[in-house]
Amino acid sequence: MKQNLKYFLFTLPALIYVLAFAFYPSAYAVYLSFLNSAGHFTLANYEELFYFNFACSVENTIIVTFGALMIQLFLGLAIASVLTREFRGKKFFSTLVIVPMGVATIVAAIVFSFIFQTYGGYANSFLHLFGLKGINWYSNRWMDLLVVMISDSWKNTPIVTLILLAGMQSIPKDLYYAAALDGAGPIRRFIHITLPNLKKFIAIALIIRGVSEFNIFALPLVLIGYHPSLLTTLAYELYSTTTVNEASAAAVILLAFISVFIFLNIRLGGGRK
Amino acid sequence: MRIKLIYIGIILLSIYFLFPLYVLLLLSFSPAKYTIQRVYPLLYFKSFTLGNLQFAFHCYDFIHPFLKSLFVAFLVGILALLLGIPAGYGLSRLPAKISYPILVLLLITNMVPGLVVAIPISVEFIKLGLFDSIPGLAFAQELITLPLATFILQGTFSAIPREIEYQAKIDGASTLSYFINILLPIASPGIASAFLISWMFSWDEFTYAVILSPIHPTLPVEIYINITRGNVLAASAFSLVFTIPVIVLTLFLQKYLKGEYLTGGIKA
Repeated sequence: MKQNLKYFLFTLPALIYVLAFAFYPSAYAVYLSFLNSAGHFTLANYEELFYFNFACSVENTIIVTFGALMIQLFLGLAIASVLTREFRGKKFFSTLVIVPMGVATIVAAIVFSFIFQTYGGYANSFLHLFGLKGINWYSNRWMDLLVVMISDSWKNTPIVTLILLAGMQSIPKDLYYAAALDGAGPIRRFIHITLPNLKKFIAIALIIRGVSEFNIFALPLVLIGYHPSLLTTLAYELYSTTTVNEASAAAVILLAFISVFIFLNIRLGGGRK
Repeated sequence: MRIKLIYIGIILLSIYFLFPLYVLLLLSFSPAKYTIQRVYPLLYFKSFTLGNLQFAFHCYDFIHPFLKSLFVAFLVGILALLLGIPAGYGLSRLPAKISYPILVLLLITNMVPGLVVAIPISVEFIKLGLFDSIPGLAFAQELITLPLATFILQGTFSAIPREIEYQAKIDGASTLSYFINILLPIASPGIASAFLISWMFSWDEFTYAVILSPIHPTLPVEIYINITRGNVLAASAFSLVFTIPVIVLTLFLQKYLKGEYLTGGIKA
């Protein structure tokens, strides 16, 4: 017991640090969100969010999170399963796949803003090459969100790939041999062996990416600005144009969504050992 | 036939991963008349110029944001080790009944949105004189890197057999000398990757930086500011210089960036 206390003391500085910098400011944000500029209690900050089409920001945030997760999971699975086999140029390809991890989010955002431009965009140059007409990438809300999802997936697929690859490499090869002997084709082997054994790793990837996806900020800020807004860009717009209190209200809503997400994760993944 | 399909997939994916970087090179090294001034910018190098880079570095401040990013990143990395090594060690030795809730707590704090934390912190930092300062920003970014670093270190220390520690104790080593002479050298790959991931995170971080350090910005914020002001060529030139070292670092340290590290903490 005394031994445990000693080890606990080792963890204490980090724990205090993290609690001081996460829980205290979060509580403070909740507090600020209920104050008006004179320092009195009010609900007006939350009411005013509705003037900023706040419901739509929530919707957009959910759409982007879901869409980007699906793209990353799909690509991650594809790339990881390619990387588990041997082929010429494997080393080169596995290096290539990791490169976007080293590219800063803001750089990815800016490069993709050059790619998806209606006038002078490289994506349209590409289409032009094949004799197709250019597309207006910002013609409606769905396109805007799609541009964000694609750009974000470029930057973040590597992380998902690494996690899934770690999972795939932990699956015993014998299972595949046995299944192949029983006459299972690659697709059935993938569905019946790879996916069930990978469940835990998929869950981890979804948790790690899901939360960051909800917080996605620099990318949409550069690519689509404040319209259509996400919860983060809305909070930042309020922070830079109105009061801290109103920005806090938007931030608290974001926190509420994340909390639900975390709670679900712990409930669903709690039994995970 | 199947092999062929896989190769086609690999080639398409390679294009997807490389194309944005290629675009960055085009923007940085082609004259503007072939890139941003065309309806359909050229997809190949028609002529090569260093003019964009020269212009950007001559006319806009690169050095101060660059140094600020560098200092903040090193501070974040060092802080992560100072707090993360003891924490990782303690967690690796505690029974799962105690360490698991602590790991979950760390995971939760890792998920608290940067914006939620940054807005109230900015109010507080203005009072404390930490607003727009290097330590102020590093303290805030540490919130995200510290849990990650602790996960990595906890995993690393857990993999070291406790028998070594007992043996050292029997041979009369104090906890401190065991730490310095035995534990840390064995754990050095994990320590290196904890430092690196912290460093890289801070180098890339935008949310805290834009809110807590808007007047003397870090490089990512400086790039953003240039884009909003329409200094497109400066933004892409800075982006290039900002990116190359980290890509080199990523490739060089590829072996430390493993999925196992990312999942290790949560599996416990």
